[in-house]
Amino acid sequence: MSTQQQEPETQEAPEDPEMKGTQSPQERRLEEKESGLTEDADSAGDLEGETVHLKVFRYDPEVEGKQEPRFDDFHVPFEKGMTVLDAVMYARDEYDSSLTFRHSCRQAVCGSDAFFVNGKQRLGCKTQIVELEQPVRIEPLPHQEVVKDLVVDMDHFYDQMHAVEPYFQDEETPAAADLEEQRQSPENREKIKMSSRCIWCGACMSSCNIAAGDNEYLGPAAINKAYKFAMDDRESEAIKEHRLRILEQEHGVWRCQTQFSCTEVCPKDIPLTEHIQELKREAVKKNLKFW
Amino acid sequence: MAERYSSFTPGGTGWLLQRLTAAFLVVVLAFHFFQLHFVNHAADVTFMGTQARMENIGYFLAMVLFLIAGTFHGVNGVYNALVNQGLTGTPKKVVLGVLIIASVALIAQGIWVALAMSGMIY
Amino acid sequence: MSQSYNRGLIEDFGRWKEFSAGMWAWIFHKFTGWMLIGYLFTHIAVLSTAIGAAQGETMMLASEQVDVYTGTIQGLESLFIIRVLEVGLLAVAVFHILNGLRLLMVDLGIGLTAQDKSFYASLILTGVITVASVPTFLTGVGL
Repeated sequence: MSTQQQEPETQEAPEDPEMKGTQSPQERRLEEKESGLTEDADSAGDLEGETVHLKVFRYDPEVEGKQEPRFDDFHVPFEKGMTVLDAVMYARDEYDSSLTFRHSCRQAVCGSDAFFVNGKQRLGCKTQIVELEQPVRIEPLPHQEVVKDLVVDMDHFYDQMHAVEPYFQDEETPAAADLEEQRQSPENREKIKMSSRCIWCGACMSSCNIAAGDNEYLGPAAINKAYKFAMDDRESEAIKEHRLRILEQEHGVWRCQTQFSCTEVCPKDIPLTEHIQELKREAVKKNLKFW
Repeated sequence: MAERYSSFTPGGTGWLLQRLTAAFLVVVLAFHFFQLHFVNHAADVTFMGTQARMENIGYFLAMVLFLIAGTFHGVNGVYNALVNQGLTGTPKKVVLGVLIIASVALIAQGIWVALAMSGMIY
Repeated sequence: MSQSYNRGLIEDFGRWKEFSAGMWAWIFHKFTGWMLIGYLFTHIAVLSTAIGAAQGETMMLASEQVDVYTGTIQGLESLFIIRVLEVGLLAVAVFHILNGLRLLMVDLGIGLTAQDKSFYASLILTGVITVASVPTFLTGVGL
């Protein structure tokens, strides 16, 4: 009897503090919006004068009068821990619902929200407002065509990514019947660890001066993706050679001028230049063997 | 990109040669500057002095190699700079042709000059 | 996508203040490279007077009959502007050499994390070497 009484108690207990945490941010924002000015006035009292001045690039080809690119000013109330993405989301939710930008996970995993913030390619959700000078100038990624506001056309970037065949290829996979796994040594895993962190945000490609001029250049992200597979010991030598043959074309690795722009903007801290340089040396070594 | 695979390496050999000539040029260019501005002053250069230096076969060969390496490194650098800027198609082929002709002319003229300086002709 | 907006090259050169070290190194290396290959052609052209000199051609230099090679070079060297240009050439060559060494290291995968520092070092060293060479380059020439 006593155990039966305890059960509902233990079930209820976690509900109180934790279930509130699972409320989605969108729900939270909607709630805040509904509860309206009272809460707003409250927080405004706390952070009096602390607003973030945003200058956001605007362009909409479908609305007459918005076809001429311009910058819109938004003054967003500052909140501790606010990121650039939080700020533009606030601007969209509270001031102008037509403000358009891509975002999804908000934790630097999906790679949707790379913007050109204060003259540098950054991930909106990973950039703290406090670290930026104001006004914060937010533009779409350079060197890609703007579709609307902060949304750029990523087709070319994806084409280059796919050109390096970014998938594991091996003829000699162990028989499925044996339930054998294809193991990688810890050392080899460590070697490709950084290259596997790419989230396809396109910040590196946008920062690359050569990719801007030479449309055929594979670009840092695609080369890094190729590195991940070329350096994976589980693929056969023949496939590695095939990968190097893609990379050593005129518009492959050789176009990299080691400006380190990509390495500096990468939100996942991938040593892109280092990987490109290593592939150049690999390609040279492979060809020297035939001489 | 990546549709056409070929057995030779467009860019790869050029890239390596650019680095190898660079390493050679660093040494010889530094020597050249030192020789003709600090050891001998450029203002005191005379034909006799030049002839005396160029009659040394080692120096002569070094200077001819310097010319060839320098021309390759420089012209290949120019070509790369233009390709980086997105030069493609027919203009690219024309530029390559013009650069090759200019390089050959420069090297030929340079070797003729070197031979004249060393007294091997005339 | 029916329409899109291409902002062109605005962010390349309109934003030079935001360029990073590696970008500057590349711009300077390319600029000095253009200068050096241009100079190489000029240099061979001037030295071509040696062909004439070997055949016995002469010219007047400071009311003295000298061979064309000696005359051309000493005539040029007596000009102040040529001396100044030579100092410029030295600066250009030294930077290209030092940054070239930096790039060779980068190609070998050495010291990639210090690439910005090595660029600043090659800039400073270029300045020092150039300034130290000015007296040597300007000896015996009047304004």
